[in-house]
Amino acid sequence: MSDLPTPLNRRSFLTRTTGAAGAGLVLGAPSILSANNADKRDAIHIALVGFGKQGEVLFNCLKNIPGLHFQAVCDISNYSRKKGMGQVRAVQGELPKGYEDIDEMLATEKGLDAAVIATPDFWHSPHTVKCLEAGLHVYCEKMMSNTIEGARAMVVAAEKSGKLCQIGHQRRSNPRYRYTYEQLINGKKICGQIVNANAQWNRSLGASQDIGGKKLAKSIIVPDETLNRYGFKDMHEYLNWRLYRDLSGGPISDLGAHQIDIFNWFLGVQPTSVFASGGNDYFTEREHFDNVMAIFDYDTPQGGVRAFYQVLTTTSSGGGFWESFMGTEATIKTSEIASTSAIYREDGAPSWDGLVDKGYLKRKPAPPKPAPSADAVAAYESAAPEEYDLPGGFNKPAHQPHLENFFAAVRGEASLNCDARHAFESEAPIFYVNPSALQKERIEFTKEQLSV
Amino acid sequence: MNSDTDSKPDTLALTYAAWLTRLWLAVRAIQTGVEKFAGKVSSEQVVNIDGAPNDYDLTASSAEKAYSLSNYHGVPAALYEKFAGEPLIPGFFLKFYDMILGPALLILGFAILLGIASRTALFLLGALYVSLTWGLILLGEPGNAGVAWLAAHMILIVFALQLSRHNKLCLLKKW
Repeated sequence: MSDLPTPLNRRSFLTRTTGAAGAGLVLGAPSILSANNADKRDAIHIALVGFGKQGEVLFNCLKNIPGLHFQAVCDISNYSRKKGMGQVRAVQGELPKGYEDIDEMLATEKGLDAAVIATPDFWHSPHTVKCLEAGLHVYCEKMMSNTIEGARAMVVAAEKSGKLCQIGHQRRSNPRYRYTYEQLINGKKICGQIVNANAQWNRSLGASQDIGGKKLAKSIIVPDETLNRYGFKDMHEYLNWRLYRDLSGGPISDLGAHQIDIFNWFLGVQPTSVFASGGNDYFTEREHFDNVMAIFDYDTPQGGVRAFYQVLTTTSSGGGFWESFMGTEATIKTSEIASTSAIYREDGAPSWDGLVDKGYLKRKPAPPKPAPSADAVAAYESAAPEEYDLPGGFNKPAHQPHLENFFAAVRGEASLNCDARHAFESEAPIFYVNPSALQKERIEFTKEQLSV
Repeated sequence: MNSDTDSKPDTLALTYAAWLTRLWLAVRAIQTGVEKFAGKVSSEQVVNIDGAPNDYDLTASSAEKAYSLSNYHGVPAALYEKFAGEPLIPGFFLKFYDMILGPALLILGFAILLGIASRTALFLLGALYVSLTWGLILLGEPGNAGVAWLAAHMILIVFALQLSRHNKLCLLKKW
């Protein structure tokens, strides 16, 4: 970067704008740094840390974003590292440097601007802290860490370094979620008073099985010595780290963190308590619960809200994964899958004809009315709510807008949609779900528990 | 007098019958061949809210049908996969068949429409439908509706061949 011929050195520009963004200012980048004009010199130089399944998901989004240069790939697995390097070469025509060890990478590679971290949860915090301390901006997958102390360390490191740290709660940048939150819930207040929230991630047995069979292909096997050096007992732990208590938070953090984050984001406050139940109902040998249910209490400016969340890794019926915010005038059901989303207007709520006319909402065709019934139970039933939909969707991979937001922030063109501090505030209650279920006790949160 | 008139063939009616059969078979073959080059062109348009483009990049997608050489698919993808699993269909033959099916339908369709070697073109079209019938039999389609549908085509081809003597307005009568 020091070879830039312009008076404004790009690294110093990035540093300055980062500081400015931290102060709440948003500066515009000069046109030389705009994505469309970026060449290798002006590009943001990235290290891809972790190129497993999720790392590949992120890379498939990153390659769509202009102005990025993939300088290094770091993964303890030869197979994953070479796969990542090959995919990078296919995109940019140049083989990146490959590293097994992140310390070696950070010591060797000069000119890195940012790291995209998609390693197992228990490595998130050490890897993020190392990269921030090395002067890199960091995009790190959620859950921030497998421990609340690890998550706290990430916030401290980010704020101490003055670098950007975005956590991969990608729904925070999803145009459909942002529109729902900003325009419909807060702007037009179509829900009225939100009194209840529900969310679920129901995953089938087929999708919840252990990864890897008894006989693994030679090419993917990581030597025991390497595995042990990086905290894994054996290949099963390495491939299935989500199942182990020392390596991850289990399904409630692996799947639930995304959706409980939406509770906290949309309701605008942290919960006051959690009461959870969980069990090893099918996978009796696993360390983590396979089914977990949790009730969070919220005290919002509008009044009390109870939010129920369930994650099942044993059955998938019930519509897969979604979040639902139920108000006195409407219910909004959100999901990353557009077809699962819906908006229901309560019978008796103010008309939405004006909103439909202006394009804020689309009315869905009314379902056929049921035949009149003399059934005594039917007489107590509420009228079916009218169904509406968002006016549009977006046609990009789910993680791409969040990564675009991160790199726009690196360029000083935006502020982060989910920086480490906000992510911590949202994730902190999740760390208490498993303890509540294990102790079979309701946990009333203290300020200290939920703050850095 | 009446019996003489009745026994004499109505050549005008037979010519009309030949033309209609020829036209039906030609249109069927040509348009089926053209459809092998059909595909969808998707587009995204930013949605207007309150009279202006929205700030969230919410878009509405639409797909329009379009034709191009790059869209070419002789055997539909779903059927291709099934044929590929058939032991009686060699891989090289399937590739070759996939490559020539569309152009063959177009060439034979135009030959029948313009009256170029009509009898041979009808015979070859019939042979093509026999090959399609064989494929559908191999796939074991429930109810054999596709086979019956192709059989209806075959009846029309046989009918057209029988009427070939009355097939007027041909560019090349020979063959």
